[in-house]
Amino acid sequence: MATSLKRREQQPMSREGDQLIVTPLGAGNEVGRSCVYMSFRGKTILFDCGINPAYSGMAALPYFDEIDPSTIDVLLITHFHLDHAASLPYFLEKTTFKGRVFMTHATKAIYKLLLTDYVKVSKVSVEDMLFDEHDINKSMDKIEVIDFHQTVEVNGIKFWCYTAGHVLGAAMFMVDIAGVRILYTGDYSREEDRHLRAAELPQFSPDICIIESTSGVQLHQSRHIREKRFTDVIHSTVAQGGRVLIPAFALGRAQELLLILDEYWANHPDLHNIPIYYASPLAKKCMAVYQTYILSMNDRIRNQFANSNPFVFKHISALNSIDDFRDVGPSVVMASPGGLQSGFSRQLFDIWCSDKRNACIIPGYMVEGTLAKTIINEPKEVTLMNGLTAPLNMQVHYISFSAHADYAQTSTFLKELMPPNIILVHGEANEMMRLKQKLFTEFPDGNTRIMNPKNCESVEMYFNSEKMAKTIGRLAEKTPDVGDSVSGILVKKGFAYQIMAPDDLHVFSQLSTATVTQRITIPFSGAFGVITHRLGKIFESVESSTDEETGLPALKVHERVTVKQESEKHISLQWSSDPISDMVSDSIVALVLNISREVPKIVAEEEVAVKSEEENGKKVEKVIYALLVSLFGDVKLGENGKLVISVDGNVAHLDKESGDVEGEHEGLKERVRVAFHRIQSAVKPIPLSAE
Amino acid sequence: MGTSVQVSPLCGVYNENPLAYLVSIDGFNFLLDCGWNDLFDPSLLEPLSRVASTVDAVLLSHPDTLHLGALPYAMKQLGLSAPVYATEPVHRLGLLTMYDQYLSRKQVSDFDLFTLDDIDSAFQNVIRLTYSQNYHLSGKGEGIVIAPHVAGHMLGGSIWKITKDGEEVVYAVDYNHRKERHLNGTVLQSFVRPAVLITDAYNALYTNQTQSHHRDTEFLDTISKHLEVGGNVLLPVDTAGRVLELLLILEQHWSQRAFSFPIYFLTYVSSSTIDYVKSFLEWMSDSISKSFETSRDNAFLLRHVTLLINKADLDNAPPGPKVVLASMASLEAGFARDIFVEWANDPRNLVLFTETGQFGTLARMLQSAPSPKFVKVTMSKRVPLAGEELIAYEEEQNRLKREEALRASLVKEEETKVSHGPDDNSSEPMVIDTKTTHDVVGSHGPAYKDILIDGFVPPSSSVAPMFPFYDNTADWDEYGEVINPDDYVIKDEDMDRGAMHAGGDVDGRLDEATASLMLDTRPSKVISNELIVTVSCSLVKMDYEGRSDGRSIKSTIAHVSPLKLVLVHATAEATEHLKQHCLNSICPHVYAPKIEETIDVTSDLCAYKVQLSEKLMSNVIFKKLGDSEVAWVDSEVGKTESEKRCLQPMASAAAPHKPVLVGDLKMQDFKQFLASKGVQVEFAGGGALRCGEYVTLRKVGPTGQKGGASGPQQILIEGPLCEDYYKIRDYLYSQFYLL
Repeated sequence: MATSLKRREQQPMSREGDQLIVTPLGAGNEVGRSCVYMSFRGKTILFDCGINPAYSGMAALPYFDEIDPSTIDVLLITHFHLDHAASLPYFLEKTTFKGRVFMTHATKAIYKLLLTDYVKVSKVSVEDMLFDEHDINKSMDKIEVIDFHQTVEVNGIKFWCYTAGHVLGAAMFMVDIAGVRILYTGDYSREEDRHLRAAELPQFSPDICIIESTSGVQLHQSRHIREKRFTDVIHSTVAQGGRVLIPAFALGRAQELLLILDEYWANHPDLHNIPIYYASPLAKKCMAVYQTYILSMNDRIRNQFANSNPFVFKHISALNSIDDFRDVGPSVVMASPGGLQSGFSRQLFDIWCSDKRNACIIPGYMVEGTLAKTIINEPKEVTLMNGLTAPLNMQVHYISFSAHADYAQTSTFLKELMPPNIILVHGEANEMMRLKQKLFTEFPDGNTRIMNPKNCESVEMYFNSEKMAKTIGRLAEKTPDVGDSVSGILVKKGFAYQIMAPDDLHVFSQLSTATVTQRITIPFSGAFGVITHRLGKIFESVESSTDEETGLPALKVHERVTVKQESEKHISLQWSSDPISDMVSDSIVALVLNISREVPKIVAEEEVAVKSEEENGKKVEKVIYALLVSLFGDVKLGENGKLVISVDGNVAHLDKESGDVEGEHEGLKERVRVAFHRIQSAVKPIPLSAE
Repeated sequence: MGTSVQVSPLCGVYNENPLAYLVSIDGFNFLLDCGWNDLFDPSLLEPLSRVASTVDAVLLSHPDTLHLGALPYAMKQLGLSAPVYATEPVHRLGLLTMYDQYLSRKQVSDFDLFTLDDIDSAFQNVIRLTYSQNYHLSGKGEGIVIAPHVAGHMLGGSIWKITKDGEEVVYAVDYNHRKERHLNGTVLQSFVRPAVLITDAYNALYTNQTQSHHRDTEFLDTISKHLEVGGNVLLPVDTAGRVLELLLILEQHWSQRAFSFPIYFLTYVSSSTIDYVKSFLEWMSDSISKSFETSRDNAFLLRHVTLLINKADLDNAPPGPKVVLASMASLEAGFARDIFVEWANDPRNLVLFTETGQFGTLARMLQSAPSPKFVKVTMSKRVPLAGEELIAYEEEQNRLKREEALRASLVKEEETKVSHGPDDNSSEPMVIDTKTTHDVVGSHGPAYKDILIDGFVPPSSSVAPMFPFYDNTADWDEYGEVINPDDYVIKDEDMDRGAMHAGGDVDGRLDEATASLMLDTRPSKVISNELIVTVSCSLVKMDYEGRSDGRSIKSTIAHVSPLKLVLVHATAEATEHLKQHCLNSICPHVYAPKIEETIDVTSDLCAYKVQLSEKLMSNVIFKKLGDSEVAWVDSEVGKTESEKRCLQPMASAAAPHKPVLVGDLKMQDFKQFLASKGVQVEFAGGGALRCGEYVTLRKVGPTGQKGGASGPQQILIEGPLCEDYYKIRDYLYSQFYLL
């Protein structure tokens, strides 16, 4: 609570700047259905698009109804796990989303296999199906790939990704919007393992770090100890004639475990007669992906690859179904699903659980409510799939290979990066709270805000984004001093600004300028001299000349419009388009037409033009007053001939002669001043030269 | 002021010599490519040798000899020691290319310019980047960002963008805008208006590129025609560059036609090449990665191609017509040369060149028209020494060994003297002691070796002869001897022992047979003899070089429209041709420097940075035009709190400015727009657009060239005074923004 109060106090002070909003639509104070919404300066990004594997149908989705999918510019997927990618086909095909989606090469290749498998195995009614295989295939066309470190720019949003460890192809995304950087870690691990690189430390420190907190304040045992425990349990169990069941999700960590087993078997010839199986057609299919994207793995694998592909196992064979499995004597079987909810792993568990020689190794993080989570606490009895209960005699070991950063990794990672804002996601509520408390003690100086928003709870931050512009070309020939004026075209592309002279526009941007020359011919059969005379009465400047080619007379009116006699019956007007010239030409056209039609009216106009100065002045004042009323509403005549303008209780005094404005409210003063300038320039005659 | 940029070519201008250019950006020296050719003539590298030590970074663009061949030699002999940047495939395939070069040379000559170890060490420190990765240099190059981008041409091939303070220098040679089977086309067109573009004019005069579809049909027809009459087909290829495209074409065709003729890919490194290529899918064309994502079909799982790494395997292959792709493309060395000599006199055979041979090589000679009837070829081979020569050699070796041993023992004595001087820190032997307990095969202390090998050596510093004595002065405390825990830590490697024995050869992966060849230290010598080879086989040349042709080069450059253009790597004619073309229609600053001529292409662009105040920006209303937004600003310069220049709103009213129309009017588009508004519209002669009955619209003045590098557009609208005129004028205005 203390933090949220503090935040409220800070807000009014830090109000200057643009608002950045981060809202978890899933994975806020929970594990599963990762989906974090972020918006800053009109750009919107969604990180991850997962489901909660413990639920089915709509209930498994993140809270997509909180947002308008059509406004999202970019969707970034960190890795292929269901809780990070599985609502993607739904989001792409069943919502109004029309932005772009990015993931790494390996993620995309596995994503398809994994979700196709997910659709096949999830036994839900047709109405509850979020998407089908067809939707997945269609989504493949929309997904774009990004390579690690490759910078991509979409609508001014720049982003690139770093290796995240965790699983093959897992990425951490760094997003840069107008200089404000946001790092989204997804699931990451800072420990190098058998095949993956450790998560990289980004080169730049982000302003906001959205970080996973799955492991909370736990500390992992070192990898070697875990591996030793793992192999020891297996070795002793099979040596005593028992069977080992490893329920594991088919992809990701399973490959790491297979690498460990294959290597252990290679080093222990006495075990060669004991078979190892991985019972997952999906894992078998994905082997090709693992055998290909060697470049995403660590140097160890790359070096091994120089001799032979380490993902071509020598002691491990694949099983397609339980029918192919002959349960004679000791064996090691890795089977999915990891939670023992149903399927092959559960079938084996039911057969093996009552024999105390057997062992079951839970190799990773288990979601609440699954049987795997239950048996970690070693209950006396378990309920089998057929509804009967059976004694749980087999040994149960929990050895985590889950490749989530533990507390030590998280805190060192954050200390290296020193982000001023930390947002915790993807963690069970209590664990997250503990992590938050402990991190507070690590960053005691108070410059770091740590937040753990719930789902749909927005975190607001304000960033003073300095807008820098580059003045280039002719406009920059002289570097100006304070007080000099700079006028030119401001070009904004993405979040980059450039100021340049109009003539340079085509040089420095893909835009170009144009001049439109207009020439119209008007029927006129009178004497040209009449026109000259009449124009001279209205316009300040009328220059006479003769056309060089035809020798006919020509006039240049107001230094803008050329009037030429074309023939006995026509005159022509030529000018270069801009609002003032258009207006001048219109009045010339009106004048010329009127000469040939109604002579008397011109005389009348002439009378009007000879009105006294005084009357003119009054008229101008009236117009100014009327326009100000139409703009500001409450305008009264005050002392010394000043106008008193009041808006919403704020008052400004306007001196009509000098244009000076006095008042308390800055904004109003500014507006009145600008308005008055514009009115004045509209009422006054057109200045002769625009330059 | 702008960033200072100087370019000086070191090799490869006004001719087809290999590429190497020095570009200095604010004093930071980039060496762009470090190429050599198949003749390996060190005199070509003389200009490089003069500047090698001043180079701060090397950027490589393609994995072939012309672009990186001199790297090992320059690192070893010329004092080049800068970090090298390249993409992963360029690094890996470049390494294999150099291995192949070395092994082919070593087989036929006493090649001593560089060794395999030199190649390894040259490639060891390559920093590998991915496409579009913005890599920020540090240290001397602070503020410079380099990024490779897709170039086409070869796997991993890059065009380099070097950015400093927003100013871009682009180095693009041998790019290909066309998408191929295994590669995407270049992204060069997406760079607009860089400050400097350095590019090649190699293909400027070559415009005869046939459609790839026809070319492929012709290619395959030619090959199958010769196979069907019982002939053999030889394709002299490079080691790991363009050959990949050819392999895919053949593989695809063979599976469609179910041909049974064998295809052999024969280089010293063919199998590792393909193994690596299989894991480079990320770098290939969209269609290849798509097919892998959806069906997990790796395009380089070659079913019809047999990979061979030595000639004996080919000789043992079943007789009958076959296709052989062998290196080198120049026929100067490698398996291709041997095979050519063997097959040249059979008229049924075909030698199919897929690229123009390097200047002055056998391949180039054979490609000349009319093709020569006879060629004189020097064939060399390495044979083991025998008989008297062997004995002489062994004697010589023994003599050398004895001398070496003598020298070594003298050195050792010196060392012993030094290490047991009076002020010797005597804790040293203890350290050695602890090491030896762990490290059985590890090095013993030099002094121990003395004792074991030479027996008793009296240290000259001692007064009287004595055995070396080491005082054990280890620290003791109440628990006994103080130990260093590090000595007893079980290293990580111990756990990973299964894998570690793989780590021996980190950089290069060599095929077993090649390795044995490499390690073969049997004394041997090279014998040469000159042959006159009758060329009766068919010689055909087809363009599979994978470079943009002259027309595309011109349109690409026009589209990029750099502020300054530097032309390199082409014959004098081609360079001059492209230079004239660009001067006339693209940009006024075109340079074609000569070797070691330094030209200054610092942009004369003025620029300064200002901050835009919130107050100013809140009054600016942007108008959207394409992917950018524009607005007019009138402002005044002020200072921010941090003393930065800042633009604020004008205190007094700004002087009115000349209105500007911004927009790009395309007559064709405008015609359709008018038609959609129900105006009768058609093109009259001379590019004029007749709108309605009376009004005409035309573009006047110098019409812009392609690519929009033109000045402002001039549009003339004319007509009699009528309602239509004003209507059409309004439509015309609607195409522009008035600022």
